[in-house]
Amino acid sequence: MAFGLRWSGSGAFFATEIRVQLHEWLAILTGTLTPGALIIFVAILAADLLPVTLIGALVYSMFLIGQRVLNEAAYIRIDHKLNELYHASPLSPEGYFIGIAGGMLVAYLPPSLVVFAILELIHPLGLVATLTLAACLLAVWAVSSTIGYVVSTLFKDMKTIWPYSALLTNLFGILPPVFYRFSSVPVAWRSVVLVLPTSAAAVLVNGTAGLETVTPPEAILAAVSLAVEAVALFVFGIYWARRMARER
Amino acid sequence: MATDVQLKSQPQRGRVLPAWAYIGWRWVWRSPAAAIVPLLQPFFFLYFLHVIAPPEYFPLQVAGAMLFSTQNIGSWCLSDSAVFRIEFRLQDIFVASPHSKLHYLFGVAFSNLIPAIPAIIVLGIILASVTDVSLTGWLVLIGSILTIWVLYSAIGIAVSSRLRSQREVWPVGNLIFTLLGILSPLYYPISILPPVWREVARLLPATYAALLVQGVLGLGGPANLAVDGGFLVLSTAVGLVAAWWLYEWRER
Repeated sequence: MAFGLRWSGSGAFFATEIRVQLHEWLAILTGTLTPGALIIFVAILAADLLPVTLIGALVYSMFLIGQRVLNEAAYIRIDHKLNELYHASPLSPEGYFIGIAGGMLVAYLPPSLVVFAILELIHPLGLVATLTLAACLLAVWAVSSTIGYVVSTLFKDMKTIWPYSALLTNLFGILPPVFYRFSSVPVAWRSVVLVLPTSAAAVLVNGTAGLETVTPPEAILAAVSLAVEAVALFVFGIYWARRMARER
Repeated sequence: MATDVQLKSQPQRGRVLPAWAYIGWRWVWRSPAAAIVPLLQPFFFLYFLHVIAPPEYFPLQVAGAMLFSTQNIGSWCLSDSAVFRIEFRLQDIFVASPHSKLHYLFGVAFSNLIPAIPAIIVLGIILASVTDVSLTGWLVLIGSILTIWVLYSAIGIAVSSRLRSQREVWPVGNLIFTLLGILSPLYYPISILPPVWREVARLLPATYAALLVQGVLGLGGPANLAVDGGFLVLSTAVGLVAAWWLYEWRER
């Protein structure tokens, strides 16, 4: 099958998703709670880690967008049965996937901007570090949105979803060195955490921001892993959206 | 009324708790991730705290994780009772049955205690291996866990009865239970908190549960067990009355 992209309806659906999500201000607010809790724990227990944790909070917030995509896509399909209506319309499957993922990104950006402002106050980033941060956050968004969308299509009821959603955010967000320093990880585990998208992004940003020392081979491994995962998974997300356009 | 006559002819007593325990067990059995995630979740958090915090706080954090896991049962109760009412329309059936409001509250709380028990037991084993726990310590810990379980389950179910859409379940549950979990000093001694936060924390029952457990285990500095225990009972009673007032059993 030729991989030509069809974008019909993308703009309208993207705008719809932004409006829908902006009405869910409570969900946007509560999305900040887990990173907020971890920032507070760090502020109380290890204040010197605060800049690292703020960068971790930005990365984690991007990863949480995947969880929101998962919930939203499942809600549209299972609860509202709107999925079939959307796919019977001129809206293309790739427009549907990118509309949800993009709408979620825009709606959930304001809390991240607040975290970024706090980070700038306590540890100003240079141009290179800011660009690295932006690129890494976009890559994490691409990975997490795809995981969220693909996982959402695998379930038939909403209640079964939450454990998987919680498991994914904990496995990718809390366990690896996203909110704490890469140097705290035992040497044997370092190459594993460098290929995980969230910790790879955090390590790259921390390295360019001068918050910890990252060797060139570690930086290359993290950057290549993150780039490959982001591109490969996003392409897979588009393929999966086309495949799942009709219920089987 | 004819309905009353028919109801009275039906069995009025039953094995309510075992039936709800079976619901909790079936949920775990049918969805393995549902069994694994509650078991793992406190350990993810504990691992993070272990990495960032001074090592002497670790026993306190393990005890805090036991209370936090129990407190989280409230969030699952919120989610479950919302699904039963909004998606499955099961609550109407319970209302029409001889199953009382109180049975329902305890039933949902009990069915959600089942998936949490393995994590609490494992945390108890870790606690026993990192610090000495006397018989009194265990009794106070179990008493505090049961108190927090009853209170936060009641809060979860009461709040869920006011939700109108499945979409509200995740943000509302997350907002209430994460905030309560952060505000109470479950993972650190109350003495290291800023003064304003300390005063706010003293309004929450979980704070007194934490102070009581930390005090009896000798983990959080000087403690007044009688005062903390008294405030735990008092704040729990106030919380239960508020939850009972908030809880909507019949649809209006």
